[in-house]
Amino acid sequence: MEPLDLALDEAEVELPTEPMLLNVGPSHPAMHGTVRCVMELRGESIERVDVQVGYLHRGFEKMCERGTWTQVFPYVDRCNYVSPMLNNVAFALACEKMLGIEVPERCQWYRMILGELARISDHLTCDGAMAMELGAFTPFLWMNKAREMVWDVMEEETGARLTHSFGRVGGMAAPPTKDFKEHTLAATRQILKIVDECEKLLYGNRIFLDRLEGVGYISPEDAISLGWTGPCLRAAGVPYDVRKAYPYLKYGEVDFDVPVGTNSDCLDRFMVRIEEIRQSARIIEQSCERMPDEGPVNVDDPRVILPPKDEVYTTIEGTIQHFKIVMEGLKLPAGEVYSYTEGGNGELGFYLVSDGSGTPYRVRIRPPCFLVTAGLEKVITGQMMADVVPCFGSLNMIGGECDR
Amino acid sequence: MTLEMFLVYFIKAFAVAMFAMNVGVILTWVERRMRGMIQDCVGPNRAGIPVPGPIAAMGALGPALGAAAAIGYLAFSGADEAPEEGWGMVAFQAAIFMLWFTTACIARVVGRRGPENSFDAFIQSLGTPRSIVGLGLVLHLVTLAVGLLVDTAEVRTVLFRAGVSLLVFSIVGGAAYVALSVGKERFVRIRLIGLLHPAADGLKTVFKGDFVPPNADKFLFNLAPFISFFPALVLLAIVPFGPALCFGSTETGGIDFGAFQGVEAAGGVCESARLSLQVADLNVGILYYFAIAGTGIVGAALAGWASDNKYSLLGGMRAASQMVSYEVTLGLTVIGALMVYGTVRVDEMVRWQAEHTWGLFAQPFAFFLFFAASVAESKRIPFDIPEGESEVVAGYFTEYSGMKFSMFFFSEFIAVVTGSTLMAAVFLGGWHLPFVTADGIRVAVGETVYFEAALAPGAVLAISALGFIGKVLTLALLQVTIRWTLPRFRYDQLMRLCWRKMLPASLVNVMATAIIMLAIDSASPATVRGLEVAGDWTMVFLAGAGMAAGVAAIVFLLLPRQKDRLVVSTAARYAEAMGGTRTAKMEA
Repeated sequence: MEPLDLALDEAEVELPTEPMLLNVGPSHPAMHGTVRCVMELRGESIERVDVQVGYLHRGFEKMCERGTWTQVFPYVDRCNYVSPMLNNVAFALACEKMLGIEVPERCQWYRMILGELARISDHLTCDGAMAMELGAFTPFLWMNKAREMVWDVMEEETGARLTHSFGRVGGMAAPPTKDFKEHTLAATRQILKIVDECEKLLYGNRIFLDRLEGVGYISPEDAISLGWTGPCLRAAGVPYDVRKAYPYLKYGEVDFDVPVGTNSDCLDRFMVRIEEIRQSARIIEQSCERMPDEGPVNVDDPRVILPPKDEVYTTIEGTIQHFKIVMEGLKLPAGEVYSYTEGGNGELGFYLVSDGSGTPYRVRIRPPCFLVTAGLEKVITGQMMADVVPCFGSLNMIGGECDR
Repeated sequence: MTLEMFLVYFIKAFAVAMFAMNVGVILTWVERRMRGMIQDCVGPNRAGIPVPGPIAAMGALGPALGAAAAIGYLAFSGADEAPEEGWGMVAFQAAIFMLWFTTACIARVVGRRGPENSFDAFIQSLGTPRSIVGLGLVLHLVTLAVGLLVDTAEVRTVLFRAGVSLLVFSIVGGAAYVALSVGKERFVRIRLIGLLHPAADGLKTVFKGDFVPPNADKFLFNLAPFISFFPALVLLAIVPFGPALCFGSTETGGIDFGAFQGVEAAGGVCESARLSLQVADLNVGILYYFAIAGTGIVGAALAGWASDNKYSLLGGMRAASQMVSYEVTLGLTVIGALMVYGTVRVDEMVRWQAEHTWGLFAQPFAFFLFFAASVAESKRIPFDIPEGESEVVAGYFTEYSGMKFSMFFFSEFIAVVTGSTLMAAVFLGGWHLPFVTADGIRVAVGETVYFEAALAPGAVLAISALGFIGKVLTLALLQVTIRWTLPRFRYDQLMRLCWRKMLPASLVNVMATAIIMLAIDSASPATVRGLEVAGDWTMVFLAGAGMAAGVAAIVFLLLPRQKDRLVVSTAARYAEAMGGTRTAKMEA
């Protein structure tokens, strides 16, 4: 029998261990309900992780191929349900690009203001939820309070708080209300105040900073090759913003900055979103100043826009026009188009194929979340179990958009 | 042990357990209300017991009439004798308090539902509830000042009679108003500002399904909540809730409860029999706390292990390592205090503090370290990694449901209460309040006495006990506020904080305490006297700070809140036009 090796360093004497396989999700508080991560844990640190998406797949793209173009709007509402207005506007812009029309100036400003309000709500939700999942509940409640104000304005404008279905090809469902500008500016001012307050509460907090600083790093090269866009990419230091790079609507005419991060960690992603709220507020302010109070909202094209209701009931032309648009759908010319805008989480693209009938042939959505979530594995491998929470939170995976 | 003593111990234990549980319920409620306040809404306060209107009216009127009759009898049964000194003012102040309190309550109700008759209109014309409360406070001050200036026997008699009459009038009047307004309703919901909500929740869990995972260790799984809950509760046994009471002794050496001799002075000892206001007079004192608190860890670890769930296991492991680690800091911080006080008995620590100065000033670092470690012991944010809901679902009690879940949940709140009581007793002077002695109030710095007033032993006891409960509540509320403010640590950060920062800090504290104590021992008598005067000055500071905090709180509460309606949506306007079918939030 061999003698025990007494010279063996005690640190090397280890019990045989094997990593624990842990199923996190799809029903787990940190997984936002729809993602499953199969983790291999050694103690608290993650050795390997397999991210599985698709639990919220509802077949939106296929559903879109059944109705008319206008009937797609409710579906896109339910993609990114945190900022539905941005999806509405993006889809309307895609259809208009195909038709080759441009909405009147007033509508463009209107769409911008509503879109930026939606972006504010998106970022507030993401940052608030991130803080809440770290245990800081108060910022979440404050930010939700601020989001309520956005929803109040949206409710007043569209009649719905969450799924507005407010966009139309060639305009909006209704013109702005009388108090629109006043309400928007009041809400924006108040939101900025709340954001300042949250910032004071969080940025001065050592625990919060320790949880986020240096956690969830991804290199800019990796982020680009994964197809990241939006705040997550900007936090990695790449100043790509569709609103600046390829301005649409009136974004070329307003003055705003694109905040970028330097460390590409969770804290940067958090801060970029906070800063974008401020920039959105700036855009809203300028847009409110420049939006005309009078003038048409919808394009003057009877093939695209429904006639007013009193004409439908009283004139035969109106009735026929209404019937044809509703029953047969808009006739988008045959062809294909890719239109892209800046959504809440990055580049939101719509690739539309039309065969000239009133029904979409193919509606392909390019969700920013899907590509960002693809990087989750890279971001959390090697981190601790607890770091999954801020990492996943800062990527802002929206189930509806990611899984469609 | 005689039956009498057994009863005394039983009553003490029962009272302390009830105290802990009720404060636990109140803390649950506070936590929810705080959530509501952060969101600018009222929070959950809807739970109520539906009571038929006439019965509710009787419930309001009956006790009020009884109380009024009792007060009237006690006050006027002494025929024409002049009231004892002080009672005139007490009665008058109580009457003023009752008057503004009742009026403000009625004003609030009227303000909400609109005036219905001329009395309502009159109350509304008096002002908002806030202004009525402000007016009442001013009235208190004015009458107190006038009472001090004009203090003759006739005035006292008049004050006493007027006060008692006014008191009886406002009690009966308020109750009659309530009875009239609820009597005609079919059902009234008794809500008690939402305090019933946590109680209802607690009751609900009793009736919920009790799920045991199929592969769990059933015995340990069922045992764990008890092991977790019990230590949290019995920890309170060593904490004194008030100064000891002196009684005469019977021939057999027992306590003669008929012969109450007063409150034990901070420096002295009772002549004959002594009744301490703590459940157990253990001579191991605070060591008992550490022994029992260590048992609580076993509960969490057992729950995590027996649940047959990986999240529970992670949570249990985290709980065990965290609590064991912080136990060390907790113990070491108290060492400094033990050295200063020279005893491990909590009641003697309080007496030392009453004689010299509060532990907060004698051991400032230890207080903060102890506070942090005690929050960590109660496993609440920012130290709630064993149950951090976004990481390990619910940690070690993920698989628990029904009453067993409630026991874990509640044991956390009780741990907050016990931690606060111990902190209050060891560092915040326990039941001692600045300048309150066994005989009354005595404001003195060094040898100079500025103010002296005698108080009845009962009053001293009441003030001391209420002061202690106030300290406990303040500390507990502070912990709830922290829970709403801070995010949670990560596992490794938590351990680093404990072993690399708090543990060395507590060791340094022990050494520094030792050095300073040696220095004081060899210091000149003048220095020692100077320190004693400094101790008195800390009391002056505390009294001043307490009063300033009270005034600031009153002013803050009385300042009118103004909320601008910025976004008035169509739905909200419609709701308003329909008579407020939906309380729309119209502030932005």
